[in-house]
Amino acid sequence: MSPVNLLGIACNWSPYCCYNAAGQAGLELPPSFRLMRVMCIGRINQALILRAFEHGADGVIVLECEDADCRYGPGPEVGHNNVARVRKLLRFLGIGQERLVEKTFLADQKEELVRVLWDFHRRIEALGPNPAKARQERVAS
Amino acid sequence: MKQTSERIRRIIEDSSLHLCLECGKCSASCPRLVAGRQYSPRLVAQKLMFHPEDAAYINNAVWECLTCGICEERCPSGVQFCRFILEMREALAEEQGLLGYRAHDGALHSWMRIMTAPELSQNRLEWLTPDLKVAQRGEVAFFTGCSPYFDVFFNNIQVDTLSLARDSIRLLNRLGREPVLLGNERCCGHDLLWTGDRENFETLCRLNYQEFRDHGVKEVITSCPECYLVLSQYLPKAVPESRLKVTLLIDLLAAEAQAGRITFKPLERRATYQDPCRLGRMAGRYEEPRGLMAKVPGLELKEMEFSRQGALCCGNSSFVNCDAFSKRIQVERLRQAQATGADLLVTACPKCLIHTTCAMRDPVKGGSLAMEVRGLVNILADQME
Repeated sequence: MSPVNLLGIACNWSPYCCYNAAGQAGLELPPSFRLMRVMCIGRINQALILRAFEHGADGVIVLECEDADCRYGPGPEVGHNNVARVRKLLRFLGIGQERLVEKTFLADQKEELVRVLWDFHRRIEALGPNPAKARQERVAS
Repeated sequence: MKQTSERIRRIIEDSSLHLCLECGKCSASCPRLVAGRQYSPRLVAQKLMFHPEDAAYINNAVWECLTCGICEERCPSGVQFCRFILEMREALAEEQGLLGYRAHDGALHSWMRIMTAPELSQNRLEWLTPDLKVAQRGEVAFFTGCSPYFDVFFNNIQVDTLSLARDSIRLLNRLGREPVLLGNERCCGHDLLWTGDRENFETLCRLNYQEFRDHGVKEVITSCPECYLVLSQYLPKAVPESRLKVTLLIDLLAAEAQAGRITFKPLERRATYQDPCRLGRMAGRYEEPRGLMAKVPGLELKEMEFSRQGALCCGNSSFVNCDAFSKRIQVERLRQAQATGADLLVTACPKCLIHTTCAMRDPVKGGSLAMEVRGLVNILADQME
């Protein structure tokens, strides 16, 4: 079975702290997991998530701070709204809403982050490849 | 683009660009220029023919156009400016990878490209309610278009695009027709076509054609002007074996209303009508929507300052270039609508509905642009007897 392509979109603050700490502690992450760091999950829009699936991601996990911890204000709430809408679009498209999930983290939850990523990896592996994948070789948009 | 390539020469010839008299009527009527944008259809035509070395100007200008078609309406020489823009975008996208500035960060174009995957199995009919009668098999299908997707994507501006699909089916049921709805219909590809992505556009055409053929569909009815334009004019070019009959719902309704087979309850309202570019200037349907509104007793139609052939664009087409100038066009259009004294804005295109609603929701304008905006099929379905 070919490894699944997972994309994580992480806020620079709490979730990235966990990711960094997990790396320093030498904790093993799923293969083919790639992380995109953004300053705040409020920066992410529906287009960025959809584009990951357009280009062949099998699963996308959005890693956010807790609502009350946002350094900028409404970041995680913007994230919840966008994830909810893209999940519906993914269901309509037949890609499946379960391929997009969001999780919130406190800055000291490195073990929890690693556990969540492995769990997500296993769930996506069970689902198989993204049915829109055939076009992934397309020129980047 | 120092030297004019053979491809560009052909585009100039096919769109009759060399007939340009430099009268400037196109630029004087272009909504983007009138809204203050430094963009001139006349200048891009001249630059391409006589100063092709100014590629920076040309490459930008080709993506500025709204393709609303008002310049073609005004041009005394018959230059096919929209065709010129369409083919130039294809050339620039293919040869230089230019995509223009896409509204909503290209999200809509993304889902359209996702739909080119042949093994996709969509769940796009969840909006069907038990009162809507549809058939599993049959020769006549209703083409829903992107309404289910718009409904989710634009839910922050409370625009009910799905009501257009539901009310279209209600009207068809009233006429005794139960259309087939295809669970795996793709986007018609209009926005990919008009943003230069010919390859993916043609893939969508082929997949849609296969879907029609596999279900034994011979006629497709649609209420969306863009879907109508693409399915009737562009799909047959991409799929030459297609013998599909494409019917615009308002044509069907106009004929049935004329024959007295459908009548409407009174609606005491004063309304104004926004001509969608794809329905009016590109498909020549000016009288059909007005005729249908006239069949609703009590519904008074007040024309805006610019209407029919001279109608002003809703501000955006194919989801490229939505910017401050689009907003100015929309504000101007809504002010024209308000100036008629009407309290109801009627349109016949889901995108006009989305764009006018979006402009009305602008918090900076403090609700001063707000008025009720509805699709023509919404009004007709509510009033049918």
